[in-house]
Amino acid sequence: MDMLLGMISIQTFWKILLFVHFALAVVLLAGVTLQAVAVLMPTRQTIGNVVDRAPVVPAASYTTLIVILYVLQALMGAWIYVKYRTYVRIPMEGYRHWWTVGSFEFKEHVVTMGLALLPAYWYFWRQPQPDQHATLRKWVTVFLAFTVWYSFVVGHVANDFRGVGS
Amino acid sequence: MTQALDMDARVSQPGSARAAAASAARSATTSRFGTFAITFGIAFVILYTLFERWNWPFFTYHPAVGRLDFWVNQARPEDGPPMFWYGWVVLSAMAAAVVGFLATLVSLAWLQRVTVFCCVLAALWPACAALAVVVDERASFNAEFLRSVWVVGIPALVGALAVSYLVSARWAERLWTSWLLIMPIGGLAILGYSLMTYFTR
Repeated sequence: MDMLLGMISIQTFWKILLFVHFALAVVLLAGVTLQAVAVLMPTRQTIGNVVDRAPVVPAASYTTLIVILYVLQALMGAWIYVKYRTYVRIPMEGYRHWWTVGSFEFKEHVVTMGLALLPAYWYFWRQPQPDQHATLRKWVTVFLAFTVWYSFVVGHVANDFRGVGS
Repeated sequence: MTQALDMDARVSQPGSARAAAASAARSATTSRFGTFAITFGIAFVILYTLFERWNWPFFTYHPAVGRLDFWVNQARPEDGPPMFWYGWVVLSAMAAAVVGFLATLVSLAWLQRVTVFCCVLAALWPACAALAVVVDERASFNAEFLRSVWVVGIPALVGALAVSYLVSARWAERLWTSWLLIMPIGGLAILGYSLMTYFTR
């Protein structure tokens, strides 16, 4: 770590970390959105427009990847959160950006709720998938997709205040 | 030919029995993990909401000075802002893991009834607290005692006991997995409401 910080400045290090967090968020967002779309529109159609004819995503195959990425992102976010608390939030409050501060506070809770549901989410997607959990599997997936989308948008707004490229 | 088929059937029976036993064992393992996962999810959400509202972190982190303190520690202003979120998450995860493990040791019917009790209590307690605030604001007499978290806990406890006693086993079973979605949404509503000051400034 000291060797790395000897080669690059501390600001560059945090910006790289933030960019990796963003890049992984895009992958997670894509995976969980595809899975949510697959459970909300499970029927394959051979006619219609491009969206209607999109191949059905093998939704179950994404599950382990989504769980790993979600945990990894939560850990990375928790690490970057230290910098946010001291370097970003204090000036944010100084500029009276209360909506951004409040939305980011809420993001903590949203991510935590998603983390709490991860073991159940993984269980519901395990093979063989019991039909009795089909509805719950669908809504847990949609809830997880909501947590990822919310976190992504709010994180992006906070980054615009003070982060990569701001 | 018939003998050969019979022989095949006899030979394949032990294999089928072993496969069935393995399948049953796998199914039992899955359902045990499922019990843990569902209970963990429900317990984590309820406990996290409680710990956040009561500010019960397992530890407090002071990022400006890189110090970790056990439980709640409001540092001196020169030590920078304290961070409690890590502590809430860790404490909730540990407690929920214990609850989830205990859930695998009891019967499913009993677990489902206990879950009804806990979830109804978790819903009624803040509802009673909100009602108490309204009563205190509008009552002609001094009703400030109603604002005590323990006083409003009494009707919530009675209500939760009544519901969990009266609910049928079939409904408790049907509701059990549904709590997994009801509780996070309810928790987010409570936690979101607590942040209203940011959005109304």
